Amino acid sequence: MAPPALPQKSPSPSQPSGKGEVADLKIQLRQHAGSRAPGADDAKRELFKKVISYMTIGVDVSSLFSEMVMCSATSDIVLKKMCYLYVGNYAKGNPDLALLTINFLQKDCRDEDPMIRGLALRSLCSLRLANLVEYLVGPLGSGLKDNNSYVRTVAAIGVLKLYHISAATCVDADFPSTLKALLLKDSDAQVVANCLSALQEIWSLEAATSEEASREREALLSKPVIYYLLNRIKEFNEWAQCLVLDLVVKYIPSDSNEIFDIMNLLEDRLQHANGAVVLATIKVFLHLTLSMTDVHQQVYERIKAPLLTLVSSGSQEQSYAVLSHLHLLVMRAPMLFSSDYKHFYCQYNEPSYVKKLKLEMLTAVANESNTYEIVTELCEYAANVDVPIARESIRAVGKIALQQYDVNAIVDRLLQFLEMEKDYVTAETLVLVKDLLRKYPQWSHDCIAVVGNISSKNVQEPKAKAALIWMLGEYSQDMLDAPYILESLIENWDDEHSAEVRLHLLTAILKCFFKRPPETQKALGAALAAGLADSHQDVHDRALFYYRLLQYNVSVAESVVNPPKQAVSVFADTQSSEIKDRIFDEFNSLSVIYQKPSYMFTDKEHRGPFEFSEDLGSLSVGVESADTVSPAQRVEASDNDLLLSTSEKEESRGPSNNGSAYSAPVYDGSSISMAASQTQSVPTFQNQALPAYTPQAILAIDDLLGLGPSVAPAPAAAPPPSPPPLKLNPKAVIDPSTFQRKWGQLSVSLSKEISMGSKGAAALTTPQVLLRHMQGHSIQCIASGGQAPNFKFFFYAQKAEEPAAFYLVECVVNTFSSKAQIKFKAEDQSTNHAFSALFQSALSTLGMS
Amino acid sequence: MLQCIFLLSDSGEVMLEKQLTGHKVDRSICAWFWEEAISQGDSFKLLPVIASPTHYLFQIVREGVTFLACTQVEMPPLMGIEFLCRVADVLVDYLGGLNEDLIKDNFVIVYELLDEMIDNGFPLTTEPNILREMIAPPNIVSKMLSVVTGNSSNVSNTLPGATASCVPWRTADLKHASNEVYVDLVEEMDAIISRDGILVKCEIYGEVQVNSHLSGLPDLTLSFANPSILNDVRFHPCVRFRPWESNQILSFVPPDGEFKLMSYRIKKLKHTPLYVRPQLTSDAGTSRLSVLVGIRDDPGKTIDNVTVHFQLPPCVASADLTSNHGTVNILADKTCSWSIGRIPKDKAPSMSGTLVLESGLERLHVFPTFRVDFKIMGVALSGLQIDKLDLKNLPSPPYKGFRALTRAGEFEVYNE
Repeated sequence: MAPPALPQKSPSPSQPSGKGEVADLKIQLRQHAGSRAPGADDAKRELFKKVISYMTIGVDVSSLFSEMVMCSATSDIVLKKMCYLYVGNYAKGNPDLALLTINFLQKDCRDEDPMIRGLALRSLCSLRLANLVEYLVGPLGSGLKDNNSYVRTVAAIGVLKLYHISAATCVDADFPSTLKALLLKDSDAQVVANCLSALQEIWSLEAATSEEASREREALLSKPVIYYLLNRIKEFNEWAQCLVLDLVVKYIPSDSNEIFDIMNLLEDRLQHANGAVVLATIKVFLHLTLSMTDVHQQVYERIKAPLLTLVSSGSQEQSYAVLSHLHLLVMRAPMLFSSDYKHFYCQYNEPSYVKKLKLEMLTAVANESNTYEIVTELCEYAANVDVPIARESIRAVGKIALQQYDVNAIVDRLLQFLEMEKDYVTAETLVLVKDLLRKYPQWSHDCIAVVGNISSKNVQEPKAKAALIWMLGEYSQDMLDAPYILESLIENWDDEHSAEVRLHLLTAILKCFFKRPPETQKALGAALAAGLADSHQDVHDRALFYYRLLQYNVSVAESVVNPPKQAVSVFADTQSSEIKDRIFDEFNSLSVIYQKPSYMFTDKEHRGPFEFSEDLGSLSVGVESADTVSPAQRVEASDNDLLLSTSEKEESRGPSNNGSAYSAPVYDGSSISMAASQTQSVPTFQNQALPAYTPQAILAIDDLLGLGPSVAPAPAAAPPPSPPPLKLNPKAVIDPSTFQRKWGQLSVSLSKEISMGSKGAAALTTPQVLLRHMQGHSIQCIASGGQAPNFKFFFYAQKAEEPAAFYLVECVVNTFSSKAQIKFKAEDQSTNHAFSALFQSALSTLGMS
Repeated sequence: MLQCIFLLSDSGEVMLEKQLTGHKVDRSICAWFWEEAISQGDSFKLLPVIASPTHYLFQIVREGVTFLACTQVEMPPLMGIEFLCRVADVLVDYLGGLNEDLIKDNFVIVYELLDEMIDNGFPLTTEPNILREMIAPPNIVSKMLSVVTGNSSNVSNTLPGATASCVPWRTADLKHASNEVYVDLVEEMDAIISRDGILVKCEIYGEVQVNSHLSGLPDLTLSFANPSILNDVRFHPCVRFRPWESNQILSFVPPDGEFKLMSYRIKKLKHTPLYVRPQLTSDAGTSRLSVLVGIRDDPGKTIDNVTVHFQLPPCVASADLTSNHGTVNILADKTCSWSIGRIPKDKAPSMSGTLVLESGLERLHVFPTFRVDFKIMGVALSGLQIDKLDLKNLPSPPYKGFRALTRAGEFEVYNE
């Protein structure tokens, strides 16, 4: 492949450097601007073409803006198009000059040719300038009423563009309801589809603030609308069909008759030439029948053929996307695909990402009836020229063996691999044989006989070497020269670069020692000495540990290092079934390709939380902990910050709030109840015998119990005169962008470091723990992140009956030192101290329930 | 929804950028992508869907041109990929091919096409017939026309009537001087033959390709003599579903020009037309390779363009291969191809020779897979047969033509 020639960095000689050529163009454009001479259009065309080609290769030609606009008075549609393209590209940078284009665009919007009307309207909406919004409403309104469907199509999407520039203008002009009317009655299917896509986006964005919009959004999913769209589905083009099908997935039919009706109606979509339509239909089928087990299974049978055809037709890229979905289904119901295993055979030419998926599917569908053939095929790949796939294939054979099908034949095959004398084959096989022995110790005799013949010199990969050493240690009683092999390995201790191998070596030699002490004693001594001198901390520690263990009592050491083992019955699955279900719910989305539910990767992308999380990620983890955390850890922590869980999600899982303004269920056994207390109190009596009302008083109790913060939250300034007891709104809601804005505006009103108490710190294993706990105190979390021992949270709370008064908190917890660094920001400064006390008391009770 | 589409040349240069939504995607994403592609060594191996630090990228590569689409939100991946494939197809259709120069020479047309194909990140129409009516292809005919008529615009003056008709893939009133329609069965055979010579897998993927030049709004019905052998079928949107469902008859109003009417898959075939018998024996540092090719199941027509490709294992130091028919080529990266051409009737072609292994190796443990190409004109190996083609609604009786062709798809033979 040619070396990377990045246009930005190394412009090729033929590329214009900018200045001279652009100036030249400017002059020429001026010359032609007013010309109406015959042939002027052709000259302009050449000039425009040059300008656009400069623009395309990345030369900045924005300085020609006014000249371009001047030249744009033309009836030539190609010139117009080029001009629209240019204007659309540079309008953002020249909002004032863009105003010049409005005139001719508006005029074009009234042209008699519908093509020009449509193009002009599209360009007008694509300028995306806030200062031009007022000029958009008129043309859009008439565009929606245009008698040509092409113009209406453009106008429907134009409304969406307008909404993104100025939501208020769009709503004020009543465009959404016009779109809805079009959606339900327009004769052209493409207009209907565009209305649908615009409305979906507008209403789901509006729904956050307007109840009417959320009702309208629901109405899109109502039976009449869904049925209307379904009945017209064949009129839509393929992409619009995808859109409609995506909407149908969200529709909940009232009974099984409806389900069957919909499936009957859509069945022929499974045979559509466009793969995207087929997948969207499959998604509808799968989701409709989730609760009907039998039918669901039939659906699998029904969609199998279209999916397999899609895989074998189309381009490699398409077949990869389909294969990812097939992979998901195969993993969910392998037995349904067990007779189709031949479809998952790899072709030599396929890219390795495709082969990998296929190998995983082959592994999954293996059962009693097809294992022999699948393993035979896999063995072909193992001997093949494609090394990475050969490795994967061996692993696949191993996995099938671990699934307990026809182990007999497989073990023979694996042992044959060892005889192939290919280093990577040997390496992979050794790792597998080790796992196999952990599950089927009964095979040890056959395996050991072969493994014993392998020269450790031919094994270089750390994982394989570690596996070999493990077997040498574990089965040293059966392998005649095990002690001597280990001894020679120990002699070359310094040449062994992998700490993992050295750790295994230590353990293996000790196990060997317990079984054959006289032969091993010398080597053990050498190993322990080498281990103690090792520069790797873990190796050193393990050597020291073994040494002391042996010194203490040899039989105890044996029971620690080499206890009788039970065969492993099931190896842990790497992906939880919950996650798999979640991916399944997101069928026909990127989740399937990444094999991760979308919240794990898209959350950071959504505009609001994303910007916020960047902000969060850039904040330091905290002054104190910054010293103790290695850079790598810090990177990891901020990585996790990107996977923010927002408060809405937690709310649904968190404990339901009982509605009381503030309850402290843990320690109110006798008489303490903040909610009940309506009397005014001055929060200065910290040592009052029966403190009932104030947050500070509660803190005092915590102190007595020895679990509260060690630093009493003594406000530096005198407490505000008689603050009312702070009542928080249990259902406070704030969206991330508002939070971020407020956080940026407000200054830190209070900042402290408190000790959490060891119990609290111990309970804080994941951010969710604290999150739920605080929720019980009407303090909501908007973002959390980090990994033990460092966690970071952003909380907020709202004063009851005072919607404006938000409290914002940043809290960095180090569970190792049980300390929390808290920064408070408040909109209502007068109650800030009361809130901070309340917050601390809530924090201090963590882990006590 | 898609936010931006880039077209990159095979040196990573941005040839074209089409922003689709208000969130402008910076070009630096292409630099990131290209570095990633370089570091992967072979851009061919790069995943079609990639997560960059800021965007999700869909990419397809066609003739050295990379089509890159960016999005930041969850969307059906096949929609992104499928769309890019359609864009590539349409460009090939318009420009008569696809390469850097063609795109740079015609970038205005590419922009125009993209403008009609996608709006605000959502695909609009990708039907070539409709697009062709909105934007005229830059062919010689249109250039001639523009000279003669003085109309230099390559945009048709009328909007496609099809946007309003109920048959979106066809213009309302087409007129051809001679009415003709051609139906081609094009099949690809995928097969895996094991080292014991057993047919592990043999499948046909086929397409019914139609080239139609008919006037008016013709109504066609196509039926097969043996539709029951079809395992799975997919149709062009013009095919009516009910007649197929009840009688396995394809009833449709065709688009004008070439299109893929139907694609199908036929599983579990019993025979391949060819046999390929590779044999590898090793002894003391050299291996002997021989490959025999011959007709196994005579299809009744000549088997043409036969080529056997394979990759020598990396541990082979040198190879000396000769054949009694055709030519053998060994490239520096150890790919071999044996071009046989047409299989002679009187003898079975064979290739043989020695492979010298790297020093220290006694025998080969890694074996090549032999991939076979062939082409047979005049026969659909699946046995699918067209029964008859009826045309209605035509002013004059048209000419009907039928052809068939089978070629090798992924036809692989493991070494013995």
